[in-house]
Amino acid sequence: MAVDRGVRRYTGWYRLLLRLYPASFRQRFGEGMAQSFRDLCVERRRANRSLFGLALWIFCETLAGIAKENVMQMSRMGQTIFRVALGSLAALMVPLVASRMVPDWNWRPSGFVIVYLLFFATGMAYALIARRMGAWSYKVGVGVALLAGFALGWSNMVQVADSGHPENLAYYSVLVLGLIGACVARLRARGLALTLFAMAATLAVIAVMLPSGAPPYLARNMAIGHGIYVVLFAASGMLFRHASVARAQS
Amino acid sequence: MVMKDTARTPLSPAVLHILLALSTGGRHGYGIMKQVEADSEGKVKMGPGTLYGSMGRMMEAGLIRESGKRADPEMDDERRIYYELTGAGRAALEAELRRYRDVVAVAEGRLAHGR
Repeated sequence: MAVDRGVRRYTGWYRLLLRLYPASFRQRFGEGMAQSFRDLCVERRRANRSLFGLALWIFCETLAGIAKENVMQMSRMGQTIFRVALGSLAALMVPLVASRMVPDWNWRPSGFVIVYLLFFATGMAYALIARRMGAWSYKVGVGVALLAGFALGWSNMVQVADSGHPENLAYYSVLVLGLIGACVARLRARGLALTLFAMAATLAVIAVMLPSGAPPYLARNMAIGHGIYVVLFAASGMLFRHASVARAQS
Repeated sequence: MVMKDTARTPLSPAVLHILLALSTGGRHGYGIMKQVEADSEGKVKMGPGTLYGSMGRMMEAGLIRESGKRADPEMDDERRIYYELTGAGRAALEAELRRYRDVVAVAEGRLAHGR
């Protein structure tokens, strides 16, 4: 089908207009919408009619759709933020109640605020990342990875504060590796699988190389702890791999 | 987003037209627009904004799904995404048509009594 200059020009402008849609909608339907618009223009041209009226109508109609989708997107985001905020508050009850019951648990109010913010940030990260893919394995993989990452970061923060061993900060390199890997993979399942396997391997190497300085009875518990984190990161990697394979087969 | 229970609540005109257009087989976006226009004898013209906005919500509600990307032999050789009805979509269309039949039956009964 030969496409004349006018059709190409209007289609180019239409593609620009489509950028006003929320990113998720644009990625899903943008190409199809531009194709449909171009098909309508070609049909108009074949009937030897001007494109201006058609373009004006479709631009106005699409603008109304853009407004509607953006309002719905904001409403969905508001609901997500509200739910995560409530969930974080519920999770905060655990340390709040524990601090009343466990002796020597003396957090300052700022400590609770920081913990709440960490819960909230982790919850929002889950809500925003997990919805990128419909596959259950992707959603569970995100949950396991965030949970393990949160627990690793938290336990090392406590460990460094209690023991004063700054070498424990090396464990944060696992989390930094995860962040970089997730960015490079652009949160795609295949890239995330590789990232999580790399995190599991890095953690295993750190656990073996880093002198714990702990007495033998504690060293065994630490080895079990490290093993659990390695298994969690590897399991998350397997889930992402499953999601990637399922997507490739669909 | 979850759509209303499509078996109990009436469908919007756009959703009904899209379901009808897909009832005879999978179509791409432009194909759906042309089928809607043909089904309504030119009375309903759906633009891409309305079509794809409605289809997004219908996909989330499980009424339609993508059925792959392929070229249309009647168009150019560019590959297009095709959409098709799901079982839930066909059931929603049948439920809507039953509702219409019931409304028509009531209306005809009233008109017959009024004569």
